[in-house]
Amino acid sequence: MENMANKVARIPNLVDWSTGEVRLMSAKCNSCGTYFFPREHYQHRPGCSREGVENVLLPHKGKLASYTIQYYPCPAPFKTEKKITPYGIGLVEFEDEKIQVAGIITDTDLKSLKMGMEMETTILEMFTNEEKQQVVTWAFKAVK
Amino acid sequence: MRDVYIIGTGIHPWMGFSEQVFADFAAVAVDNALKDADIEWKKIQAIMAGIFIYGGNAGHLSGQYLESIFGETGVPVVNVYNACATGSASIRMAYNSVAAGETDTALAFGADVSPKGFLTAKSDNAVQDRDVIRWKMGGMPNPIYWALECRKRMEKYDTTEEDLALVKVLMSEYGSKNPHARFKKTYTIEEVLNSVYVCDPLRLFEICPVSTGAAAVIVTADKELIAKADKAVKINATTMGSAIYGDPTIRISALSCPAVPEAPMLSESYSASRQAYEKSGIGPEDIDVLELPDNSSWHYLVYLETCGFCKDGEADKMLREGETKIGGKLPVNPSGGFSSHGEALSAQALWQVIECTNQLRGRCGERQVENPKVAMAQTYGLMGNSGTTILSV
Repeated sequence: MENMANKVARIPNLVDWSTGEVRLMSAKCNSCGTYFFPREHYQHRPGCSREGVENVLLPHKGKLASYTIQYYPCPAPFKTEKKITPYGIGLVEFEDEKIQVAGIITDTDLKSLKMGMEMETTILEMFTNEEKQQVVTWAFKAVK
Repeated sequence: MRDVYIIGTGIHPWMGFSEQVFADFAAVAVDNALKDADIEWKKIQAIMAGIFIYGGNAGHLSGQYLESIFGETGVPVVNVYNACATGSASIRMAYNSVAAGETDTALAFGADVSPKGFLTAKSDNAVQDRDVIRWKMGGMPNPIYWALECRKRMEKYDTTEEDLALVKVLMSEYGSKNPHARFKKTYTIEEVLNSVYVCDPLRLFEICPVSTGAAAVIVTADKELIAKADKAVKINATTMGSAIYGDPTIRISALSCPAVPEAPMLSESYSASRQAYEKSGIGPEDIDVLELPDNSSWHYLVYLETCGFCKDGEADKMLREGETKIGGKLPVNPSGGFSSHGEALSAQALWQVIECTNQLRGRCGERQVENPKVAMAQTYGLMGNSGTTILSV
């Protein structure tokens, strides 16, 4: 993994790299078994006691369940220093957790995108903040 | 519960971003509805108004702003927001108030000025407003969500790019004949297929833009008013649905969705339509004209399936074989749909109801469906909002 020092997520509690791999910060309800992303996007099964929700990290790798290529710049408050358009957006499935998560596709030939291909979680550098830190978001890239 | 009828409708034609004062163009729709019903403002005993989210005080209290234009009478004014199904909420409340006998005559109203350019985040608070996360971190405008679902559909069924383009061809033909529509130009398949991708597989002409518009519907159980109306239209059911756990659709503003379906796609619309079928005793096979929310060409196809007009994966065939044309087995969106209007959030569900009403009253001129008796208006709003209205004459 590249040097992650001096990098900060634009919004906290979504993406983690403390384990040495970039992983999404999810939560699991131990009563109804549902995984949530973001953590606070609760989606309990009706009748669930909602007891025992714990923070978990999603696996580093998943499979591409859908994708699109965005051809025009996303309006503010989205912000990147470098022009990234056109960029891919993928829906990556984490099979055991029974959840699909959306994110920008980076560092991948967009023409090579195929349903079902293996993807890994990574980060995308968006811009440099006033503290000279690289502000990042989560993203996905094809496993090479 | 009493039988409730629509006796008057009014529209301010859909247009682009407007500097017109909200109240002024909103009043046009209400004036038209009063004239159509041939009643005085003082007959309105409740106002159910759609909230216009980009309008600050005027938007959040749109019913009060409206009431003051026509003259304050002290009647209940309720302002409601359910995203793009806001109009469904306002007509449902008006219906319920009249059906329950709380009031005899009520007004459902919505007017919306869309922002210049794109719909985007409405706060800067990522802690309270999850929507901020998808804008700041996800780079995901609304059409991305539709494109992700459309790609899944094309992988699962035999939906082609030509099918997606054909939807626009049909909608533009009908929109060109609708004086309320904003876009009147007609397109060929080639022209649609030559338009740029916005987010592939969806192209520029296969996605509806944002618009400004106003719509008003007057409902009543007053027998005198029904008798003197120019063909009153009965509301057989007007319902709202929310999503069901395990719906695999990725909902606008969400960043995740279930990987294993335990509920139908677009379950909020499944819920709303099934409630309407049950309450009215009318089923999809009885509908003579349908207005569905064609926010994109994908919606046009999937909504035929969600609402039970065909089995999953069969909508493309209905489209290709002309079943959804005016003159076909199930005429769909003779108004020209959102494709020809664009979204005016709090008003659009009401114009769908108005188009259905006009069709049942035989007022649609060149785009008139032949002698329809039963019509259905179906909406779609982000984050699990939907409404269905079934009407008859």
